[in-house]
Amino acid sequence: MSVSGKQPFGWQGQALHVNLSTGTIHSQPIPGEWLSNYLGGRGLGVRMMRDYYRLDPFDPDMPLIFAVGPLCGTAAPTAARLAVVSRSPLTNTIYDCSAGGRFAYRLKQAGYDALVVTGTSSRPVALNITADGARLDDATLLWGEPVSATVRAFANASSVAAIGPAGENGVLYASIMMSEGNAVGRGGLGAVMGHKKLKAITVKGDRKTRVADPDRLRLAQQDIMRLFRASPVIFGELGIAEYGTPALVDLMAQRRMAPTDNFRKTLFANSSNYSGPAIRKHFAARKDGCYACPIQCKKSTPQGEHLPEYETVSHFGALNRIDDLHTIVKANTLCNEMGLDTITAAATLAAWGEIRGEFPTATELGELLAAIAHRNGDGDLLALGSRRMAQQLGHPEVAMAVKSLELPAYDPRGAYGMALAYCTSNRGGCHLRAYPISHEILRKPVATDRFSFAGKARIIKIAEDSNAVIDSLVACKFSFFGASLEEYAEALSAVTGHDYSPQELKRIGERIYLTERFYNIENGFADTDDILPERFFTEEGSSGDGISINPIDRTRFLEERRKYYRIRGLDDHGRFTDSDFLGQQP
Amino acid sequence: MIRQAQKFLDKLELDRTGRPGRSALLANDDRIVGTGADDLCQLGHELLERLNVVAVALVEPALPFADFLIRKAGRAESCLVPRDTETRTFLHDIPFVRHQELATQPADQLARLLGNRKGILVEGLGIIATGAVTPEQAYINVSSIFHSVFVKYLLDILGEKSLSAEEQLALADFQKNWLKPLASDIAFAPAGTLDERAHILDEICRIGRETVRLGLVDSFFGNISLRHQETIYISQTAASLDELEGCIDPVPIDNSSTCGITASSELLAHQKVYAQTGARTLLHGHPKFAVIMSMICETAECPITDCWKDCPHVRQVGTIPIVAGEVGAGGLAERIAPVIGEPGAVMVFGHGVFAIGRDGFRDALAAMIATEEWCRNEYFRRLEANG
Ligand code: SF4
Ligand SMILES: [Zn+2]
Ligand SMILES: [Zn+2]
Repeated sequence: MSVSGKQPFGWQGQALHVNLSTGTIHSQPIPGEWLSNYLGGRGLGVRMMRDYYRLDPFDPDMPLIFAVGPLCGTAAPTAARLAVVSRSPLTNTIYDCSAGGRFAYRLKQAGYDALVVTGTSSRPVALNITADGARLDDATLLWGEPVSATVRAFANASSVAAIGPAGENGVLYASIMMSEGNAVGRGGLGAVMGHKKLKAITVKGDRKTRVADPDRLRLAQQDIMRLFRASPVIFGELGIAEYGTPALVDLMAQRRMAPTDNFRKTLFANSSNYSGPAIRKHFAARKDGCYACPIQCKKSTPQGEHLPEYETVSHFGALNRIDDLHTIVKANTLCNEMGLDTITAAATLAAWGEIRGEFPTATELGELLAAIAHRNGDGDLLALGSRRMAQQLGHPEVAMAVKSLELPAYDPRGAYGMALAYCTSNRGGCHLRAYPISHEILRKPVATDRFSFAGKARIIKIAEDSNAVIDSLVACKFSFFGASLEEYAEALSAVTGHDYSPQELKRIGERIYLTERFYNIENGFADTDDILPERFFTEEGSSGDGISINPIDRTRFLEERRKYYRIRGLDDHGRFTDSDFLGQQP
Repeated sequence: MIRQAQKFLDKLELDRTGRPGRSALLANDDRIVGTGADDLCQLGHELLERLNVVAVALVEPALPFADFLIRKAGRAESCLVPRDTETRTFLHDIPFVRHQELATQPADQLARLLGNRKGILVEGLGIIATGAVTPEQAYINVSSIFHSVFVKYLLDILGEKSLSAEEQLALADFQKNWLKPLASDIAFAPAGTLDERAHILDEICRIGRETVRLGLVDSFFGNISLRHQETIYISQTAASLDELEGCIDPVPIDNSSTCGITASSELLAHQKVYAQTGARTLLHGHPKFAVIMSMICETAECPITDCWKDCPHVRQVGTIPIVAGEVGAGGLAERIAPVIGEPGAVMVFGHGVFAIGRDGFRDALAAMIATEEWCRNEYFRRLEANG
């Protein structure tokens, strides 16, 4: 593929490079080989990290990359998303985070597939990007402001990505917030942005994405929509379009795998207080969501306050034993304002609660979150996340994290594929890498036995590859409760005019996945990091109703993990047998 | 893994999709395991080595319809495009390979095609389908392709003037040996006696099994429910009707809990039917002759092209109404609820039959059987009339 001169189909072919140390800004073509072999989003970002992955997350030269995908700006459903890629100060792993909203779409409209920010500014700045160029403006007056006030200061921009006080103060799980309320939530990329003294990025543009074969794209789009409508999880009466991800609250309670009491229990008696139907009723929730997405899984109040996701309600709820919905919603809003990842914030508080023998009360909660964002009092320690906090307090065993990333609201004792996937995830304890909840709980595309490890190693491997591609297209994971790579390969082929098969896409995903793992291994990670906290192997969850939530059999777990390594082509300790792996990749 | 593979291989023969002894199902764990005919296992092994999937099934179908369709396909064509719902929704189209196009070492060629689609047809060999997640998925895809091919072939020949001697022979054999009488002597629990959760679940499981035994639904399609007071007990999405134990969701009719997010994709249809009729039970299957007959429309000069979703009419074959509408939130729920009450059954274009029972499942199953029987007879009457 050639990108010289003419803009290719699907991609814009350009990256915007901004060096905050020198104040230089320039646009540069992205090698066509990178685009065709890594697509965009996560894949492109990971490729761009090849020369930088060894740097400390707070090294001035560390890039913070915002990358969109070839489908963004086309009729392909749920594709107006981007990945933010860098190295996480929380996990120290390579890190990417997918986010929706309008920012991705506008960035692409401004003419870029990627924005690469390096350097550190000497004073707070805002980066303003339009189709005519980009500019750095002083943002000293905004420093310290919460997210909403920051967004309001850029009334002219089409979309804004900003950090709150948490990112400014280096909270290791600070988020980057989009003006539409979507978060680049996990992994502390907001702290990387804060360290660069970059308060906000605004984007505006009107450039189109060129589509090679619009008729073919229309058919692919129809196929995808048909599958969305056939999927109970997406458009069903009780699905996420109606109730958002809190539709999972009742289900996780029924399956007895809702992490409670900092993962000491797996059922919280009052979870129905913050279920999907409860949220809808109490807040007259309306549909909201990412640009042009037909699903609109986000929910907000009629006044526009963003309502929390499943992970957030469950972790501020069950994990901390808080059963008051309004407290939970307030905590969510506060996290959004301060620019804090809700999952890590709630999980860190729960771990701290276990140590001090008392979970935060509803009244305390708001004060604690503000203290974390400003690093006052206890907040200074809590700002380090659960692993560092628990270690410093002499109780490393209470941090419910893998590779320092706090586990979300699916107890691994209730889904063994999830148990394995938390550990093999390159960015730490994340549910979205292989997303086995899809088949272990939601029965999509088919059901698997959640209490069995049999076959899970390969299932996880394939799903990790597929999701790496989805994060590079960039499409939303929720699409795949209905559609498959088959339909998205068709959409991609229609958009780019280059035939991609689902198998080829999975190969791309595999390349991205292994590249990330290679970076991690080079940075000192080992199989000893691919492991769950001890608790899950020794303590049982809340059995009952004919469902036993037993401790996970460690021997069986390790056996399946070894299988996983083998299937990935790694040695028995999860290491690469070829030290020149990167040299062989495009 | 091997147990799973064996289970679904057995199912393929039991439901008469595969010719006895001429199937194989293989799965890739950290190594490839498989079961079935040696030559097919060999090829399956080579395919799995080339594909990023968990399972592959190779099945010589019990009926030769696929080969007939391939031979009739135009020179330039390389896939079948059946118009039934299962194909339209999940398969899109079915690529095929003609016998003379098949390479002597066909693994690369077939793997390339399988890299694009859930399953393919190979003339003289049969159906090959993959499972990205489980062996069951490979079984489901085979089953779906078998269904689609069945429907397409029989529908196509209704429009043909004459059939080859080979086809006529095959059809006679099909009628005599493959088709079974649609008789059920199962005992039904009256709804009045179904007031305990355990009994309700038992009854649903039993009727589900009978529906599959009668061939009224294939693989994991179809769904079944019973309403008791304020709760609809409904089969889960992607659940096989003959294995419903542990796969039935209780859904409160006021949607006060979302536990039923895993319920059948037709939950909305079930809800609407219960709200608009006095029914106690609902059974939905994909009986093949009903699917075929639902796609025959004699309206002259109709401007509508996407009949399966856009047809606004309530058509009729025999006494059974036919409506259009796609799966789930695709519109069929709105269209079936108003017309199902009186006749007790309704067909959905290219899709299947919904049938209700007022007192337990007796009427529902009877209506489903009667509909399919009528369609089967009517089909052969028309085929005969063609000469
Ligand atoms: S499904 Fe939800 S998160 Fe995904 S793109 Fe749509 S609105 Fe955004
Ligand atoms: Zn080791
Ligand atoms: Zn159906």
